[in-house]
Amino acid sequence: MIIVKNLSVERLNKKIFENINLSLVSGDITILKGKNGSGKTTLLKTILNIIEPSIGSIYWKGKLLKKNLYDFYSNVTYIADKTSSLRKLTVKENINIWKRFFLANIDNTQIETALKTLKLDKYLNQKIGALSLGETKKLEFLRLIIENKKVWILDEPLSNLDEDSIELMKQTFEDHCAKEGSIIFSSHQNPGIYVTKEIEL
Amino acid sequence: MKIMKFINKIIFFYYREYKLNLSGFQDILTNIIFFFISIFIFIFSIGPDKETISLIGVGIIWTLLLLSSTLSLRKFYQDDFENGNLLIIHLNGFSLGLIAILKTFSHFLFVQVPFLLSIPIACILLNIPIDKLIYLFASFGIGSLTLSCLGSISSSMNLMNQRNFLLGSVIVMIFSVPIIIFSVGIINMEENFNSLINILFGILLIVFAINPWASGLCLKLSLENN
Repeated sequence: MIIVKNLSVERLNKKIFENINLSLVSGDITILKGKNGSGKTTLLKTILNIIEPSIGSIYWKGKLLKKNLYDFYSNVTYIADKTSSLRKLTVKENINIWKRFFLANIDNTQIETALKTLKLDKYLNQKIGALSLGETKKLEFLRLIIENKKVWILDEPLSNLDEDSIELMKQTFEDHCAKEGSIIFSSHQNPGIYVTKEIEL
Repeated sequence: MKIMKFINKIIFFYYREYKLNLSGFQDILTNIIFFFISIFIFIFSIGPDKETISLIGVGIIWTLLLLSSTLSLRKFYQDDFENGNLLIIHLNGFSLGLIAILKTFSHFLFVQVPFLLSIPIACILLNIPIDKLIYLFASFGIGSLTLSCLGSISSSMNLMNQRNFLLGSVIVMIFSVPIIIFSVGIINMEENFNSLINILFGILLIVFAINPWASGLCLKLSLENN
C-alpha cells in the first residue's frame, strides 16, 4: 500500500537520514529502530506528508501520495508521542468527542470492553489531568479502535507502558494484522513484538 | 454521501470547540470582566462630565474591545498545536486552510459574540444614546470578524515563537487601525452609514480571503518544524 523510495530528509542544512526504502503491504508490521535523535519521528511525519522530503518520493496505492493525500488520510491513524486528549475534559467526554468527530460506527459496549481491558473503566468520569502518563497513553490507543482504519502509524507506542499493557499491545497488533491492517511504529528499545520488517535509522 | 459526511465532521468540529470553550468559560468571563473594569477606570479617570464621556465613549469601547480580544489570541491555535490535536484534525480530512476558516468562526462565536452581547451595558455606562446601538452592533459585528481573521493570521505566525508573546498582539493592532477609523466613523457620521459600512465590509472580505492562505501556510510551517 505504501511505498517509500530513496527518501532523504534535510532540515536546516543537516542531513537527518538518507536513502530510506520501505514498502508496506496489508498484514505488515514494520518497526523503525534507532537512537534518540536518529530521525524516527521525522520519517513518520514525512510519510504523513507533513515534512517535505529533500529527495525521494512516497506512493500510496500506486499513486504519488501528494496527489492522493486525502484518500491516504482517510485510511490512516497517527498516534504521536504526546497525549492528544483534552486535559480539561473527562475521559468520557474525550471519548464522545472522538466518537463523533471521526464519525465512528462503534457501539458503547465495544468501548466499555476496550476500557475494561485497558483498566481505565474506573476513571470514566475523571478529568484527564488526574490520570497518570501511562494511563493517558493507554487512552490514546482507544483512538485506534474508534477510528477503525487500515494503516496505523505510531510514534513510540510502547514508552511509559507497563508489562501487561505491552503484552496487550502485542495482541492488538497481531489482531490488526490478521484483519489485513498494517502498522508502522517506532521504538528505541527492543519491544519483543513480532515484526515482519525492521528498519535501522 | 461524502458531502454529508464532511458536513457532519464540520458540525462535530464545532461540538468539540463548544465543549472546549465551555470548560474554559472562566477565560472568556475574565476577558469580559477586564473589559468592564477598564471602562470603569476610564470613567473614574476622566471625571463625571457626561458630555466628555459620551463624546469619547465609542472610541473607548473600540479600544478596549481590541485590547481584550487580543488578550485571548494566544489561545487561538496554541493549545491544539501543542497537544497534537491540530495534526489529528488535519489527518481527519480538513486542509489547513479550512481549519483556519473554521477556527476563525469559532473564535468569533465563542470569544467575540459574548463581547457583542455586553456592548449595551457598556453603552449605558458611557452615556452613549441607545438609538446609536444599531450602528455600534453593525460596525462591531463586521469589525470583530475582521479582528478574528487578523488574530488567526498573527497567532498562526507566532506558534513557533516561544519568547515574545506580545508580538502577535502588536501585529493585530497595527492592522486593525483602518477598522477602528471606519467603525468609529460610522457612529459619528450617521449620514455616511452606507458608504462606511461598505468600506468596512470590503476590508473584512480582503482579510477573510487572505486568512486561509496565510494561516494555512503558517500552520504548515509550524507543524513541519515542530
